[in-house]
Amino acid sequence: MRHQIKSDDLRAPEMAEAIEKCVHCGFCLAACPTYKLLGEEMDSPRGRIYLMKGVLEDRIEADEAQPFIDRCLGCMACVPACPSGVAYGDLLVSYRTLQEQSRQRPLMDGVARRLIIETLPYPRRFRLAMKSGKIGRMLQPFLPEAFASMLNMLPDKLPPPSPLPPILPAQGERRGKVALLSGCVQQALAPQINLAAARVLSANGVEVHIPAGQSCCGSILLHIGAESEARQIARRNFPLMPDDIDAIITTAAGCGSGMKDYELLFKGQTDLHKASDFSSKVKDFSAYLAGLGLREPRGFAAERAVAYQDACHLLHAQGLQSEPRSLLNQVPNLRLVDIPDAGICCGSAGTYNLDQPAIAEELGGQKAGAILAAGPDTVVSGNIGCITQIRKHLDLQGKNLPVMHIAELLWAAYQS
Amino acid sequence: MNRSFFEALRSIYPDDRLLTRDVELLPYESDALTAFQTKPGAVALPIDEEEIIDTVRLCHRMKVPFVARGSGTSLSGGSLPIADGLMIGLNRLNRIKKIDPEQRIAVVEPGVINLHITEAVRQYGLYYAPDPSSQSICTIGGNIAFNSGGAHCLKYGMTSNHVLGMKVVLADGVVTQFGSESIEGVGIGPDLVGLFVGSEGLFGIALEITLRLMPTPQLYRTVMAAYDNLGRAGDAVSMVVASGLLPGAMEIMDRLAIKAAEASVGAGYPLDAEALLIVELEGEALQVEAEFAELRGVIEESGAFEIREAKDEDERARIWQGRKSAFSAVGRLSPDYIVQDGVVPRSRLGEALVKIGELKAQYQLDVANVFHAGDGNLHPLILYNGREPGALEKAEALAGEILAMCVDLGGSITGEHGVGMEKREYLPTMFSPVEMEIMRDLRRAIDPEEIANRGKMFPSGEAPALQMRGMHPLERQGVISRE
Amino acid sequence: MTGDVLDSVAELQAFVKGHRRIHVVGKRSKTALHQVEADVALADLSGMTGITEYQPQEYTLTVLAGTGLSEIQAALHEEGQYLPFDPLLPDHGSIGGAVACNLSGSRRHRYGGIRDFILGASVVDGLGRTFRVGGKVVKNAAGFDLSKFLVGSLGQYAIMTELTFKVFPDAPVFQGLRLQYESLDDALNAVFRCNRSTQELDLLDFAPWERGWSLMAGLAGFQDTLPQRAKQFVAMMREETALLDATEVEGDGSLRDPLAGLTGDFLVKVVISPRQIAGFDARVRDIGRRYSAGGNSAWLATDDIGALKKILEAEQLPGLVLRGSVDCPLIGKSPENLLAARVKQVLDPHNKLV
Ligand SMILES: Cc1cc2nc3c(=O)[nH]c(=O)nc-3n(C[C@H](O)[C@H](O)[C@H](O)COP(=O)(O)OP(=O)(O)OC[C@H]3O[C@@H](n4cnc5c(N)ncnc54)[C@H](O)[C@@H]3O)c2cc1C
Ligand code: SF4
Ligand code: SF4
Repeated sequence: MRHQIKSDDLRAPEMAEAIEKCVHCGFCLAACPTYKLLGEEMDSPRGRIYLMKGVLEDRIEADEAQPFIDRCLGCMACVPACPSGVAYGDLLVSYRTLQEQSRQRPLMDGVARRLIIETLPYPRRFRLAMKSGKIGRMLQPFLPEAFASMLNMLPDKLPPPSPLPPILPAQGERRGKVALLSGCVQQALAPQINLAAARVLSANGVEVHIPAGQSCCGSILLHIGAESEARQIARRNFPLMPDDIDAIITTAAGCGSGMKDYELLFKGQTDLHKASDFSSKVKDFSAYLAGLGLREPRGFAAERAVAYQDACHLLHAQGLQSEPRSLLNQVPNLRLVDIPDAGICCGSAGTYNLDQPAIAEELGGQKAGAILAAGPDTVVSGNIGCITQIRKHLDLQGKNLPVMHIAELLWAAYQS
Repeated sequence: MNRSFFEALRSIYPDDRLLTRDVELLPYESDALTAFQTKPGAVALPIDEEEIIDTVRLCHRMKVPFVARGSGTSLSGGSLPIADGLMIGLNRLNRIKKIDPEQRIAVVEPGVINLHITEAVRQYGLYYAPDPSSQSICTIGGNIAFNSGGAHCLKYGMTSNHVLGMKVVLADGVVTQFGSESIEGVGIGPDLVGLFVGSEGLFGIALEITLRLMPTPQLYRTVMAAYDNLGRAGDAVSMVVASGLLPGAMEIMDRLAIKAAEASVGAGYPLDAEALLIVELEGEALQVEAEFAELRGVIEESGAFEIREAKDEDERARIWQGRKSAFSAVGRLSPDYIVQDGVVPRSRLGEALVKIGELKAQYQLDVANVFHAGDGNLHPLILYNGREPGALEKAEALAGEILAMCVDLGGSITGEHGVGMEKREYLPTMFSPVEMEIMRDLRRAIDPEEIANRGKMFPSGEAPALQMRGMHPLERQGVISRE
Repeated sequence: MTGDVLDSVAELQAFVKGHRRIHVVGKRSKTALHQVEADVALADLSGMTGITEYQPQEYTLTVLAGTGLSEIQAALHEEGQYLPFDPLLPDHGSIGGAVACNLSGSRRHRYGGIRDFILGASVVDGLGRTFRVGGKVVKNAAGFDLSKFLVGSLGQYAIMTELTFKVFPDAPVFQGLRLQYESLDDALNAVFRCNRSTQELDLLDFAPWERGWSLMAGLAGFQDTLPQRAKQFVAMMREETALLDATEVEGDGSLRDPLAGLTGDFLVKVVISPRQIAGFDARVRDIGRRYSAGGNSAWLATDDIGALKKILEAEQLPGLVLRGSVDCPLIGKSPENLLAARVKQVLDPHNKLV
């Protein structure tokens, strides 16, 4: 599309390029969960691009467009669906950041947002906040819906903190050396995931380093357009990583795709090279392991029917579809079952549960239904957000299946 | 649009399904031909046919023009809104109401997406045959408006041949129903289904459609032959036809197109060929194998210097990928170009190519040719450099001459994208004044106020005809091809 | 009943302009359609014959409307091609008549009916104007498609003078099969089974036969593979339907002619869908009948048209009387007349064409 976007912002060229490439063909509509659900052009990728264009061209007010942009899950399903190669993700992040700088949020919304910025990225603060329940009580009168949904997402009791060992040696022949990211919420909510990942890697001949003092990678903040905060905490991880590692492993899908975008985040910053160096090493757990080649686990005594739910940030943003499935397929006595429409977002999408509870609920319910239709006895995914969301919605439908991270299931397969 | 119209609309639609704010209207201002933009006065999002009927009646009563919209993928500006008019978004009417595999029919709402029908009936060994490249998102309502088609339409026809019955609301609010679940469709009395399909949204809105389904072919067989001149490839097509075979698809590409396609996807095309012919057979396995043996014989006799058969589904896919990316590849040869879409009688393809060759020399521009030899649908790609002053104008003039040539040779100005906004000034080149008058009268007899899709299809002094400039980026990606 | 034989479009135009009410006749093979009042002038197009343009390579054929079907079929046959909609009454009818009444034979089952093969037409309308509708090429997306509208229009909107069709190569060999079933239910189930298979049948009719029902199927293709395809088909039917007996039929005359053996003063075509047949058939047990194209149309022959009319009205099925003396050839459920009337208003505002 032709456009009249002024190029006075650093990000403008990227945004302009994405908009230019978009030809308004609508191919992406078919892939977009919010379009499917809401059936309006403004809630489709094509419509959002058009709205962002309208704002950048000063044809409409940013505030007017914002609700529609906010409703975007950031699930990136529209990216592989677009034949013209529009970099929707870059456009969205750039746009959100730009708007964030000038945005006046409604008061309470702003408070909630601050809260996210201040607590979610810091495992300790998050633990404290949740433990005291203070935040919830404090804000509940103002934000019943958003918080209901956040509190729902939490387990009744946070698991005790379980520090990870700094190094897990490779077992058998050493095939690699990696660093494991143990950033934010996930470590507080489900410390067993990173532990399982480290153990599986070690069982596969990989030496795993887990540097102490890590902080969040910043992705969750980037996701809500808090760019400078995101940069600030992202930086803290750079010096912590050993130099001679093959990869920096993450078990959180959103973090993986966020870190892959560091180039954009650090554009124009003096430490851009450090950021891109870091980002080029980041690999999702399943991608790394599939690339390395799995040492066959013992498998399960009795057959397990396992459904793999694609995390958007693995499937759409990183193109990981066959890798996790191939890992699972190598486990003896594990039968993989297909979830219909597995590529559709479950509605978790980062802080989406917090921002857009109604849509998140609807998508979560649909996802649980689709999973049940596949008839699994275990559900795995590669992302904590998806796991929590799915577990919650399966519970709501009265079905108590185990839902776990792929690393956990693999570790179980090595143990049994 | 005045206040009383809005008030009346509000009695039909709850707030969340009546869009009136600028921010909500903006994304509706274009379809897939973004050269045209018009913000509608309002967008209504009905969820059932009663709402549509009430809306059309209201528009008729208050003389407010409306445009129906499916997914907004029209390439000719067909779903461009009308300023101060109402846009009726039909995408929420997306229920497949009935599937009857034993009768091979489906009954659908107009907002159902083309491909969703095939997905829903695949389990019965059936499919919905018309396959426009946009089938993953375009709606049956839009397909009906343009009589859309795809690669495999020679044998089984376009949309019109697959609609058996429909319920419609005419532009003046009259609701009527014609056709049936019988394969005969209307069968007795004038074939109104045939009249309504292809009417570009000017007659009214299709509310419910009964479609015919086809059995999935047991087998496809594909062959590719290289020739040292275009004429020979054309002759080969004649030989295939003369042999009595009825292929599902027959495609020709010229040297420039081959070169480009090969550079882009490496389909294994012979680079030294002046012309490449692709022929595909489909149907019952035993019959197709027998036909294929015959086809092989014909092709061997046709003077091809290289013949290659697809041995499996992968090889078949590769051949088609090359064909479909041919346009994309041409992008590698030139910074800009214009895609034209015209039809000539198949037996005059040779003449058309000679004429295009002459025009090419006269205008000193390169033209790559890709065409559906099966139905005479030409896609000349006119290469130019947009940075050279006057180059675009020259290319557009050449494109216009090609359209005129199609008409002269007894063909058509559009094979499938319709007239819409884009080609409305060309319509009178195809039809006599009497024919134009009759079409106009017909429109007025159905829609006296001309409220349905006002300004489309018929020429008007207001806006100049516009050419689609350059290849569609999807074509460049090789994802779509214009069939 | 005589009419003016009109040999040219100009003559026809003058005739239309010079008369108040006009009825068109071709070869008059369908007598029921020509019962008109005394004040109606007959325009006889049987003189407008001949193939104007036939390009086998093009898969297109243009003929004058009065041309006999047998002439057309002979010309096509010479080039190994045919009209896939398989016009009915080839020996007696004209092509214009076949289009006006929308009469396809049984082989339409494979590729479609007249509407699927008509590309364009030249017409003279009720105002005496002559013009073309549709195109002459197999693909065209410009303008309203009035050519399809003419199919089944009974000459009441415009008079066709020339017609263009898409034609297809014909298969070298045809194999007819007669499959026996005990009851209509069994025969219908067999039809449904065929519809769920990927076997491409050229024809699929069924009719009462001796004490049970007979399913008439046809396959077309090459000499070498046809026997095996037929065998596969019969094997499938034997396994999955209540087939009593299957025989190959030599020649194809009676198998392909849906009217074979139908006797009665009145001959009626009914448009029906397979699911409506069981209910309908229960009421027409005494009438000679055959269901055609997989049960998508029915041919009935009766001496008591009044009774059949009532049945069609009750079942809400449209019928067209082709033979026999009736006031109006349209019986049963009447055709849509809300949209059609608008076209009439444009093409024949003075209601000349009856
Ligand atoms: C990338 C791409 C590839 C394409 N490839 C092909 C192709 O191969 N073949 C082909 O034929 N076309 C192709 N097209 C064109 C387009 O997809 C078709 O014309 C399609 O039928 C439009 O469907 P839609 O739902 O998007 O309709 P819209 O664009 O929304 O509307 C098109 C027209 O239909 C009318 N309309 C919509 N619904 C109804 C209804 N219920 N009743 C009456 N009128 C209605 C509208 O008023 C409008 O005039 C392509 C388009 C794109 C962008
Ligand atoms: S698919 Fe790509 S080019 Fe097409 S509308 Fe969507 S973003 Fe734009
Ligand atoms: S990221 Fe997901 S929700 Fe957002 S526009 Fe793309 S497909 Fe839709």
